[in-house]
Amino acid sequence: MAFTKKGAKWILWIGTLSSLILFLVLTVDTHRQVKVLTHAENLSEQVVQGKRVWQKYNCNDCHTILGFGGYYAPDMTKVYKRIGKEGIRKTVKNPQLVFADSWRKMPQQNLKDEEVEDLVAFFKWVSEINTNDWPPQDSDKLPPSSIRRMVAGVGVSPGGALFKEKGCFACHKISGTGGVAGPAMEGVGRKYDAAKLAQYIRDPASVDTKSKMAKQDLTPDQAQQIAQFLMGLK
Amino acid sequence: MQYQSQKVAYPYFALALLLFVLQVLLGLWLAINYFATLPQSLVDIFPFSTARAMHTNLLVLWLLLGFMGGTYYLLPDETKSEIYSSKLAYLLFVIFALTGVVALVGFLFGWNQGRPLLEIPTELDIVVVVGVLLFLFNVAMTMIKAKNWTAIQATLLGGLVFLAVLYLFGIPFYQNLTIDWYYWWWVIHLWVEGAWELVTAAIFAWVLMKITGVEREVVEKWLYVEVGLFLFTGIAGTGHHYYWLGAPRYWLWIGGIFSALEPLPILLMVLDTMKHVKHRKLEIKNRIVWIYAVGGAFFHLLGAGLWGFAHTLPQINYYTHGSQVTVSHGHLAFFGAYAMLNLMVFYYAMPKLRGVEEHAEGRGKFGFWTMISAMFCLGLAFGIAGVIQAYLERVLGFGYMATQEQMKLWFAIAFVCGLGFLVGVLVTVYDLFFPKPAAHVAHGR
Repeated sequence: MAFTKKGAKWILWIGTLSSLILFLVLTVDTHRQVKVLTHAENLSEQVVQGKRVWQKYNCNDCHTILGFGGYYAPDMTKVYKRIGKEGIRKTVKNPQLVFADSWRKMPQQNLKDEEVEDLVAFFKWVSEINTNDWPPQDSDKLPPSSIRRMVAGVGVSPGGALFKEKGCFACHKISGTGGVAGPAMEGVGRKYDAAKLAQYIRDPASVDTKSKMAKQDLTPDQAQQIAQFLMGLK
Repeated sequence: MQYQSQKVAYPYFALALLLFVLQVLLGLWLAINYFATLPQSLVDIFPFSTARAMHTNLLVLWLLLGFMGGTYYLLPDETKSEIYSSKLAYLLFVIFALTGVVALVGFLFGWNQGRPLLEIPTELDIVVVVGVLLFLFNVAMTMIKAKNWTAIQATLLGGLVFLAVLYLFGIPFYQNLTIDWYYWWWVIHLWVEGAWELVTAAIFAWVLMKITGVEREVVEKWLYVEVGLFLFTGIAGTGHHYYWLGAPRYWLWIGGIFSALEPLPILLMVLDTMKHVKHRKLEIKNRIVWIYAVGGAFFHLLGAGLWGFAHTLPQINYYTHGSQVTVSHGHLAFFGAYAMLNLMVFYYAMPKLRGVEEHAEGRGKFGFWTMISAMFCLGLAFGIAGVIQAYLERVLGFGYMATQEQMKLWFAIAFVCGLGFLVGVLVTVYDLFFPKPAAHVAHGR
């Protein structure tokens, strides 16, 4: 055979070194560009603390983030945009309620309020990383049909926007989207009038002593707007 | 077995096998988590995340123990000298075993760094680093003292040093999540598609040489070419993990092109194995080692090469990244490339270490075929679940849980495949611990 051991050695060294040099040069350049792509200037003490919380509770062995990790639960890259601050708070604090009727559960890890806030800051920062528009299901360019439906029905009214922003979806469903800890919102406008509903949102027990819902920290105006929106769902 | 110090390999192999069984049991538990509803009280105490950390760390631990044992077994024969210090090898075995036990028990109590596959806390990382340094010292001293340098030794040592150096990148706390994952892949990808390939290519070349009797000259020449291609495609191929993590766009090109070439060295290895087997100079003894060598090369090509290639291009990976497609690839690749290689080494060495030169092959064959068919089905079940996920969740925009509902059936099927796999594993492990001498040997010829 014409091919000699010397030739084989050349393949070894040229192959290895060319690939290694290319890789190391690009690594240096990546470090430079990552600062811009991840908005490193927003990497506050709280965001870093949030990353520590993320690691402390081993969230990453169930959830993926940037697509890496366990595949047992939704990807967290854009969770801040998907369910918002309040959605994150409610889910992390009371997973046993949010997933009460779900066939897959999330552990109650008893995070301190401070830790939850750090986590929220971390998720906000992560959601702004330029990921080349990944993941597709949370893409800004091509909103998936579920989000499109929601935006069409919910996003147009200020009350609807508040309903989403304040994390009400964590417990309540509207047209099939949302949590199951509380009742679905269709028809709630037949049960109460707008004023009662606004009162209910801020102090559930004052309207229904058997209610399991927590008091919501909203201004009377905000509660009124959400109530108006819900009235429209009957 | 000519050298006394080859015996130090035995406890490494034995523990590796026990951990393998434990890994599979936890895998079955994970599969149950995927399709059954568990009570909140159980999820609070023993969540999926803890079981997954155990499943993956057991994998890494048993494979590394297998590599270390394999190294100790091969080294005296290659260098024609005893291991530099057998005592150190035994001591390190105890240290690694204890570290493993502490890590696994620690996970149950939340003692965890929270980074997938690199969960073990920093304190234990330090123990591992010291242990590995001493292991490298023992290996290098054996080679240096013997002064019988061969390409196999150089590749093995190079791979082990590379492996150890890369581990260091997984230890620090990185503030920036993107940088964190960037270096996480230096450990994970450059291990499995770099350092581990070197270690296993060296071990594989040695076993091939021993069982086929093909000249060292020929085996080593192909070893150089394979290693060169593995590193050429593997190092820059790391880029296929950098598509969506906040790194520059050029990684889509670099990752796509280099990783598309990654099956080449594996293909070369398969052809090369076939050629050596065809031109063998020795009669076939212990067929099961052969079966693992050839089967392993093919499964390596299938799981790592083809399954990896299938979703490595950015246009496809955009929809499959972080889905069950990755799970399918992970299982087939780790089993084909590394689990089977270790089992081949165990089959070569363990019966000899127990004084059985030629062993009966019935149980071993049953174990082999059961494992590879079950693993193939497992890979298909995960793969189908992954395609469903990519289409419903990522293309059509279904919610996460609505999609999981549609995948349930395939998780249940994966569980059944896992049960089959467990049967194959148990038979294999039993056979390795208690090898039966071949009939013609047992009765005298």
